[in-house]
Order: sequence, then structure tokens, then C-alpha cells
Amino acid sequence: MMSRFPRLQRRLSAFLFLNMLLSSLFLPAAQAGMVGTEALLDTAQAEQQRAHLQGLLQREDLASELRAAGVEPQQVQARVDALSDTEVAGLVHRLEQVPAGGDVLALAVFLFLVLLVTDIAGYTEIFPFVKHRAR
Amino acid sequence: MAESRLAILRLCLLLLAGLLGGCALPPLTPAPDLPPRQTLGEVPFFAQQRYQCGPAALAGVLAWSGVAVTPAELTPRLYTPALRGTLQAELLAAARRYGRVAYRLPTHTEALLQNLAEGTPVLVLQNLGLGWLPRWHYAVVVGYDLEADVITLHSGLEANHRTALDTFRRTWARADHWAMVALPPDLLPASATRADWLAGAAALERVGRAGAARQAYVQALRRWPDEPLARLGLGNSAFALDDLAGAEAAFRRLLQQRPGMAAAHNNLALVLQARGRLAEARAEAERAVDLGGPHAAAYADTLALILRQQAGPTRPPQP
Repeated sequence: MMSRFPRLQRRLSAFLFLNMLLSSLFLPAAQAGMVGTEALLDTAQAEQQRAHLQGLLQREDLASELRAAGVEPQQVQARVDALSDTEVAGLVHRLEQVPAGGDVLALAVFLFLVLLVTDIAGYTEIFPFVKHRAR
Repeated sequence: MAESRLAILRLCLLLLAGLLGGCALPPLTPAPDLPPRQTLGEVPFFAQQRYQCGPAALAGVLAWSGVAVTPAELTPRLYTPALRGTLQAELLAAARRYGRVAYRLPTHTEALLQNLAEGTPVLVLQNLGLGWLPRWHYAVVVGYDLEADVITLHSGLEANHRTALDTFRRTWARADHWAMVALPPDLLPASATRADWLAGAAALERVGRAGAARQAYVQALRRWPDEPLARLGLGNSAFALDDLAGAEAAFRRLLQQRPGMAAAHNNLALVLQARGRLAEARAEAERAVDLGGPHAAAYADTLALILRQQAGPTRPPQP
């Protein structure tokens, strides 16, 4: 009984090998390297959102609010640079939900809170009063 | 005794008012040229079965757009039994599989009304319950009357259900202002933003609806002739449809407009390779590799593919 298994295995692996070979031969190889429009759209959108955030931080009124709260805007800039595309998108999305987009204080408080939370989670080290565990 | 009971009652009422009236609605500022009322008469209504408001609502919107489909056909694709309902992303995905340009609308009432004014029915998510006790519901907005402050929906078991505009705005706000449209790819509404339309078209390209994607890109280029990603999409969809000459023309035109767009060089290289012009293909692929960028790995693959093919005729596989 047991002696049948190796043969089955051999046949199975030969079959799988042939299968893989054939499927790789008949795959539309050219299509594989085509860069889809969606991939470029995503890249473009991520760049736009990052630029939007950075532009926001360039605003003098917001910068002075942050400074008044003891945060250097440059540190926030650095933090935004370090965010992944997905994180930037999430941040921009949440920013859009801050009532009255023109309200500087609301924006500053929002950014402050977001950065404080990420600081506590250990992703950033912007605020000196948050104690970080040694890692 | 009676006084203290009254006080408790008052407190309860106050709490209830606090829970119900939590969100104040911002004043509505519709565009000055928005017609004061609109009724879309030609949106089919499908009465929903239990928990099936998602398929029923989508079937209505799709049928309006020219896709003959019933809620029963959509249900296996859309209904998630564990949730007793349908996820928003699945509605968008399903509409795309039927070759419609589908995208989420901006989250303000004015955009919703604008779409209706243009003749497009809008699929909305509502929370008919409360924030902490949600009752999710999909419906199709088919009309409004600003003078009577009324909005008309195909909802549940009722066609043309009229509800107060402010009530609708509250239930919609509790569902994060989620609204979508599903449009025929040759119908680009005036209010559609470039980003939304392109995202919808690119999603069609991704799910393999190349014919619909091409139509959507043609419409996009009619309105935004210099949009590079629409031109790229036109080339990509032409290539997917085996229209190699059309694809080559699109990528060459894009490169005239945007010299140094690496992805366009890469995709042109693959079109030329498919047309058997390997030397030209190689030059384009090398250009893409030189330019690099976030998709550099794909460009390297393209060049490798062309170099392999140039190295000699492919031998038949050895058994």
C-alpha cells in the first residue's frame, strides 16, 4: 500500500511542474509589465496629499499655534515625511472632518492630538513629556 | 413628591433631547442655478427583501444606467450573511464589474442635489437608528423639492418615498455622508471631478472591463484634453483590447506632451514588443529604466523581457 504513494507523489509533482510551465508560457507576458493607470493615480494622489499637509504646515498662523503649544513645526514636517502613503491619506481624511477648515486653532489642536497619540504609541518622539520605553 | 418626579421627568427629557439633537445641521447653500425641484421618473424600483436593501438599491441604479439586472442576481455577490447586509466597497466593486463608472460622491448635500439635478440617481447609505444603536439602510435618491424641503427616495418597500430634507440629512450624516453614483462610461456628468472620474475609469481598467474603460477615458479627454493619466489609460485600454496601433498612438502623443514620463515609455515599449519592433521597444524600455521612479521594478522587467526576446527566437520548451 505504502509503496504506491511515492509514485503518486512523483506523478503529482510532474503534473504540477508541467502545469506551472504551461501556465507561465501562456500567460500574457507583455501584460505583466504594463503599468496600470490606477497605480499611477494612487502615486499622484499620495503626492498631492502629502503636499497638502506640508503646505498646511507652511502656514504661518498654524506654525505659531504649534509653537505656542511647544511643538516645532519642523518636527511635525519631519513626522509627515516619515508617514506612509496610507497614513497620510488617513490623516488628510480626518483633517477634512475637522469642522471649519479655516479654523487654525481647531487644526492645530487636531494635529497636536494626532501627533501626541502617535508619540504615546512610540512611533514618534516629538513631545519630551511622553516617556518612551527603551526598545 | 410630585415635584421630584417632575424633576426626574424633566431630566430624562433633557437627556433624550441631548441624544437626539446631537448634531446641528449646517445651513444648505445650493448653487444659485440649481433647479428648485427635480424628479427622476425613469429610475426602476425594486422592493427589497429582508436585509437586502443593498442589492435592491444597486439594481435600481444599474437598471437606470442601462444594465438589466435584478436584486436576486446581485445578492450572491453583495450580501454578507454575517453582517446581514452589504459593505459599501462591495457596491462600488459590483457596479464596476458591470462596466459602470462608479465613485463615491463628496460628503455634502449640495453635491448630492447637483447630481440629481443633472439626472443621476444617487445611492445613499443611511443610519436610520442612532449613532450608538445603528440601523443601516441603503436607498436611492430620485428627487428633491427645495421649496417643500422634501427629498424623494426609492427605499425599502416604498417607491418615491418622500421624507423631510433635514431628517434625511441627519440619517445620512450618521452614515458618514456615504453616497455613490454608477454611470454609463460614455456619460460624464458636468459635476464629476477629474479625480473621481479617472479613479472610476482606472478601476474599470483594473477589473478587466477594457471596453468600458476606454469609453470613460475618451470622455475624460474630451473634457480635460491635457490630462496625462487619461491619455495613459486610453493607451492601456486600447492595448488590453488588442488595438496595438491605437495604443501606440496614445502613448506617443502622451510622450510628446509629457516627455520623460517613465510609465509611458515602459508601456510603449510593451506595445512595440507586441508589434514585433524589438529594437524600438528596447530603446523605450531603456529610457524607462533610466528615468526610474516608484515603478522602476516593472520597467526592469519589461527591459529584461525584451532583451530575452532579442537574444534569439524562443526555443520550444524541452519536455
